[in-house]
Amino acid sequence: MKKIVLATALLGASMTASANAPGGPGCGWGNMLFEGQSGLPIHLLATLVNGTSGNATFGMTSGTNGCDTSGALAYSGSSLLAMNGVLEEVAHDIAMGEGEALTALSVSMGVSSDDRGHFNSVLHQNFSAIFPHESVTAEEVLASIQAIMKADQQLVKYTA
Amino acid sequence: MHINRGATLRGRGRSYVTDESFFLSPDGRDDPAAELEASIAALAEADSQARCAYPARYRFIAEQFGWQDSAPFAHCEEYLSWREQIPDGPVVLIFPAAYLNSPSSMFGHTLLRIDGEEEDGVWLSQAVNFGAQVDSSDNSIFYIYRGLAGGYPGYFSIVPYLTKIQDYAHLENRDMWEYTLSLDDEERRWLVEHLWELRDIRFDYYFFDENCSFRLLELIEVARPGSRLLDDYRFAEVPVNTVRALQDAGLIEKRVYRPSKAAELDHLASQLSPAARRLARRLAADPSLADEDEFLSHPVEQQRLMAQTAYEFLRFRNRTRERDAQVARNSLAMLRLVNRLSGQVVAEAVPLSEPEPPEEGHATKMIAAAYGQREGHEFGEVQLRYTYHDLFDNSTGFLRGAQIEGINVRLRSTESAALKLERFDLVNIRSLAPRSTFVRPVSWFVHAGIERVQAGDEDDRRYGRSHFVEGGPGLSWQWGRLTPFVFATFRAENNSAYDPFVTGAAGASGGLLWHAGRGATLGVQGSGYYLNNDEYRHRASVTANLPLTRNNALRLDLERLAVRGDADTEFRVSWRYFYD
Repeated sequence: MKKIVLATALLGASMTASANAPGGPGCGWGNMLFEGQSGLPIHLLATLVNGTSGNATFGMTSGTNGCDTSGALAYSGSSLLAMNGVLEEVAHDIAMGEGEALTALSVSMGVSSDDRGHFNSVLHQNFSAIFPHESVTAEEVLASIQAIMKADQQLVKYTA
Repeated sequence: MHINRGATLRGRGRSYVTDESFFLSPDGRDDPAAELEASIAALAEADSQARCAYPARYRFIAEQFGWQDSAPFAHCEEYLSWREQIPDGPVVLIFPAAYLNSPSSMFGHTLLRIDGEEEDGVWLSQAVNFGAQVDSSDNSIFYIYRGLAGGYPGYFSIVPYLTKIQDYAHLENRDMWEYTLSLDDEERRWLVEHLWELRDIRFDYYFFDENCSFRLLELIEVARPGSRLLDDYRFAEVPVNTVRALQDAGLIEKRVYRPSKAAELDHLASQLSPAARRLARRLAADPSLADEDEFLSHPVEQQRLMAQTAYEFLRFRNRTRERDAQVARNSLAMLRLVNRLSGQVVAEAVPLSEPEPPEEGHATKMIAAAYGQREGHEFGEVQLRYTYHDLFDNSTGFLRGAQIEGINVRLRSTESAALKLERFDLVNIRSLAPRSTFVRPVSWFVHAGIERVQAGDEDDRRYGRSHFVEGGPGLSWQWGRLTPFVFATFRAENNSAYDPFVTGAAGASGGLLWHAGRGATLGVQGSGYYLNNDEYRHRASVTANLPLTRNNALRLDLERLAVRGDADTEFRVSWRYFYD
C-alpha cells in the first residue's frame, strides 16, 4: 500500500497523463537535461538559519518545482523526474548502470526489488535511446523509459 | 508541551511554542496543569477535532486513564492519509558537515530522516527539518539579522530526503553523516505522532540556542522519555555535540558516510596521473579528444575514469549556474562515453575512503596554560577559547584547512605585572581551500579582536592596545602532506598608542603547514603590513602542535615580532585541554 502511495506521490498521474504535462505551466516536466539549479543566493541564506527553501511543506504537498499542487494532482507535485536536478542524477546512474537515483526511480515506478537489477541493466543498455540529445525533457525521458519497459517481457507488467 | 525545564535561558517554566493554536487552554503556554485539564476535556469526545490535531497527546492521556477506543482517529481523514505516507522504518539523524569557504555552514546543521524499506534506498525517505521558514521575497539583510537575533519563526517541515541530498551534498558540497538511531517501533510511533502535532506550529528560532539541534533533541526525548538529552544546560548547541549527546545516551546504532560531489570529484581525480588529470580537463571542454590517440592509448579503465572525472568536473562547475547549451552537450557526450566504456570494464570501482567522523574530533571548548619567555623575561599565560578549532589543532573529525575561532582570550602575567589581556579574538576564521586541476577556489580570512602591540621605535617604545579588524583573499594548495598558502591583508585598527581614531594598514602573509601524521601539525608563517602612519609590523613564527590524546595537546610557539625593524623574540610552550 505504501509503495503505491509513494509511486503516486512521486510520479503523480504520469502514467495516465504524461502527454498533457500534468501540474500546469511552470511545472518541471519541461525541465531539460542538465538544467542548472538557480536561486542559489536565497538558498545560501536559507542555509544560515537552516531553513527549507521553497514552500512550507509537511510531506503533504511539495511545491518545490513550480508544479500546481492543487486538486487531484496534490500528491504529484514532486514528480521525481520533474524535480530540479534529479534528471541529471538519473542520467548519470543509467550511464553507470546503478546508483541511488536509479533505485529511487525504480521504487517510484513500482518495480519490485527482484526486478531492479534487470531494470537497471535494460536502461543501461538503452542509454542513448533514453537520452538521444542534451535537450531532452523529463517528460520525454519518462515516455522513453515506459516504451522500453513495455517492450521488455520482465518489465512490461509495471507499465499497465 | 515543550516546556523549558532549564536547558536554555529564555522563559524557563514556559513552553517554547509561541503559537497560541498549539494550546487548548487560553493559559496553556504558562500553565501546564490548565493545559492538561483542557486537553483531557477536549480529547474525551469521540469525534473531537482535537484528536485529529493531537494524536500523541490523545494516546498519552488515553493510556493514563485507560480510555478504550479501537479507532480514535477514524474521523481524521487528513491525519490518516498523512500517517499513511510517512514511512515506518528507522529514524536517522543527519549531520551535514561544514564545508570550506562557507561561513554559513560553520556550525553545521542537523535534521532527521525517516526511512522506508532498506532495499528501496534513502532517496525517497522523508527528511524532518526544523528551521526558519525562508521566503524568497524577504529582504536578505533583514533576514540574516532576524535569523541571528531571534524572533524569526521556526517551523518543522517534512520534505523528500533527496532534496536535502541535493542541497547539501550536491549544491553546497558538504559531506553528510547519517546516524541510525536505535528507536524501536513504539518510540518511532510517538515521534511521528508528535511530529504531526507540530505541523504549522510556530516556534521562535534562535540561532544560538533554540536552534535545529535543540528542537531535534526535544523530539527524540518525546520518543524516548528518560533519555536525559536535555538535562544539561545548552547554549550555542553545536550540531556535533548533538551527535555526541545521542551517542552518550546509547541512541546511535549505525553510521553512514555520504561524500559530497566535491569529495567524489577529488576521489576520481586521485586515481589519475597528473597528465591524465589534465587530459580529463581538456576532454571536458572538447569531447572529440576521446577519438584521439592520446586518449585511446590509456587502458580502458583509465579512459572511463577520465570520462567520469570530466563529467563530474563539468557538473561541479555548472550545477549551480544557468543552463548552457554547450556545457549540456559536452556533459551528455561524457555520459555517453562513460556508458560505452563501462560495458567494457569489469574492474570494481575503488571505494572512496571514509574520513574520521566528526564526533571523534576534539571537544569544542578549550582551556590552555602556557609558560614562555619574551626577550629573556618570563611570563605565564592562561587561555580560554569558547569555540572551536584552529589550523594546528588535531584535524581528526574536522575539515582540514578550516579554522574557526570564536571568543578566544589570552591573559598574561609577567614578573613585573599581574594578569593583563594579551589578546582577545572575537572571531578568527581562516579558510585554506586547496586549488587543483579542477577546482580553483579563493581562500580567505577574517579576524577581529583586541591585541597588545608594540608601537613607536627604539627610543620611544610603547605598547598600545589595538582593536582591529583584518581580512583578505588568498590562495592555497595541497602537495601531499604540505599545505602552502598566501594571503593579502587589509586591516583597520583603533590603537591607544596612535592619535587618529582609526589607522589603516595593508600587507601580505604566507606560510606552510606540514601535517606530520597522527594529528600532529607543524607550520611556519610570516606576515607583514604597513600602517598608513608609516609604521610597519612583521611577524614570523614557527608552531608545532602535538596531540597527546583526543582532548589534550602540547603546543610550541616561537615568534619574532618586529615593529620598524626592532624585533622581540618570544617562546611559548602550552598545554591545551579540550572539553565539552
